[in-house]
Amino acid sequence: MIPFAIAQQTVREALRRRVMWIFLVSGVFLIAMGPVFGFLSPKDSQTVLRSLGLAAILLAGLFITIVTCIYLLPVEIERRTIYTVLSKPVQRYQFILGKFMGGFAVVFINIVAMGIVFLAMLWLQEKRLPPEMFIGVVMTFFQMLLLAALTIFFSTFATPVVNFFLSFGIFLVGNMSSVTDSLTSNNNPLVSNAGKVIHYLLPNFGNFNIQNSIIHPTIEIKNPNVFLFQNMIYAIVYSLVLLTLAVLIFDRREV
Amino acid sequence: MAAAISIDGLTKKYIDVWQKMEVTAVNNLHLQVEEGEIFGFLGRNGAGKTTTIKMLLGLIFPTAGDATLLGKPMGDNNVKQDLAYLPEETYFYDSMTGWDLMDYYGRLFRIPEPERSRRVKICLEKVQLQPEAWKRNIRGYSKGMRQRIGIAQALINDPKLLFLDEPTSGLDPIAHSELRDIVASLKDEGKTVFLSSHQLADVELICSRVAIIHRGKLLTTGTIRDLISGERKEVTVTSQALQNGLYEKIHSIVPGAQRQGNELVRFLSDDDDTISAVIDIVRGAKGKVLSIVPQKRTLEDVFVETVRKEEGEL
Ligand SMILES: Nc1ncnc2c1ncn2[C@@H]1O[C@H](COP(=O)(O)OP(=O)(O)OP(=O)(O)O)[C@@H](O)[C@H]1O
Ligand SMILES: [Mg+2]
Repeated sequence: MIPFAIAQQTVREALRRRVMWIFLVSGVFLIAMGPVFGFLSPKDSQTVLRSLGLAAILLAGLFITIVTCIYLLPVEIERRTIYTVLSKPVQRYQFILGKFMGGFAVVFINIVAMGIVFLAMLWLQEKRLPPEMFIGVVMTFFQMLLLAALTIFFSTFATPVVNFFLSFGIFLVGNMSSVTDSLTSNNNPLVSNAGKVIHYLLPNFGNFNIQNSIIHPTIEIKNPNVFLFQNMIYAIVYSLVLLTLAVLIFDRREV
Repeated sequence: MAAAISIDGLTKKYIDVWQKMEVTAVNNLHLQVEEGEIFGFLGRNGAGKTTTIKMLLGLIFPTAGDATLLGKPMGDNNVKQDLAYLPEETYFYDSMTGWDLMDYYGRLFRIPEPERSRRVKICLEKVQLQPEAWKRNIRGYSKGMRQRIGIAQALINDPKLLFLDEPTSGLDPIAHSELRDIVASLKDEGKTVFLSSHQLADVELICSRVAIIHRGKLLTTGTIRDLISGERKEVTVTSQALQNGLYEKIHSIVPGAQRQGNELVRFLSDDDDTISAVIDIVRGAKGKVLSIVPQKRTLEDVFVETVRKEEGEL
């Protein structure tokens, strides 16, 4: 109940941030532009809408997740509101959990909003709801779950600016899994070992992107259900590990 | 009565990595606060008051030492059920209304409805926040209203032990006396209050005991009555014989004696034997004692003396 109270308060506070609305409106705008761009190249109009829509949700989701989650802890510490919370019978893990749940609820609301617009556009253009697009949105959602956990983890010890570059950087590197994978088989043992650390330790954000299979239809997802399921489990387990680490660090942190 | 707070050698060192400096904010502090008293925790800016309170509440961790609150080790989550904390200069969640803020804090104590709404109302009424302001955003609150909501949130769980860090700073005289009386009334409800304050007149009025700390070290602790006792007397004597060596004699007994004109000597002393000795030699020189006026010391006098003395010795 305590984490829920904290989460609810966090959502209320986060929904007041103007910057979040700017990203949401931009995302929705981009998705809505999909059919317009489609007219410009009628031959690929389906691919245009699909990849533009998913990209817009990913990009807006990325910024919304980072700007929302980056400040959840620092604001409480800076405004000293955290004193009034932690001096009450609130355990620090409950605080982190509440903040995470709240931050992620905001991300969830945004992805759902953009997802609905996206699916509506698809319906208008294709007169059907392609299941792989639905899976694409759900994948973005789990990708953001992982990113939210990562950002909250960093916020237990890094300033918002440092956190921004860390989270963003890791998101980019984690999206280039084919590059980091190729590093692991490098001839130089130093490079290959570093590559292994990066490839296996950093969250593999690239796994979640089904855009690749849209843009390169030759890459085929063999079994969408397994793909979906594996990635969900991966995101959840990895997020739990990050949150556990966040709690361990935050437990020792002076506020 | 049992000790509400028992501090055993609490020490906090801050290490500044960049400047390779070490600040000892609290230095081997020992202190007992009894249940049901309002305890004044005094010290200059930077003396270590807030640091001590934050350690007791588990917000920061001591370098050494230990403490118990209500018989349980500090930082214990269960004991927080009975604690309250008003931090100095808190902003609260200012996009919330006063009522919603109180409701949120009530939920953190797991107070169920409708009990929670009842508690919120009682507390807001107790701190005399105008009901028109209850549903308004805290952003629009004045300093006095913020201070009131701050005390109200500290009361939401009907705590046994309250830590109030400067609850009456920056208020207009009427708000000031109202809030001071609210703090004083907590004692009648059997609560223990640990009050950090620079308003020594308030402290003298509502506290039973105080501690004075300086640079993290405890200088003195005791009841206010004991601290301001040892009442000094101002003695004024007159004699024609002052020029003939009498003043020098008096001066050798009371070095602080001051001569005023040719026939008057005035001095302060809290020692009756010294005063008698002076009176004896004045009478012996056919002089007269004009007046002996008791001088009441205030807590402020004691504070200034105690801290000055310590600073002089450093
Ligand atoms: N986070 C910190 N890092 C380094 N030094 C600190 C930190 N917090 C406090 N200090 C230092 O510890 C000392 C005690 O500070 P503290 O805030 O406890 O004083 P205080 O008695 O509450 O003062 P005031 O009456 O001004 O509120 C000060 O010298 C302060 O500079
Ligand atoms: Mg202070």
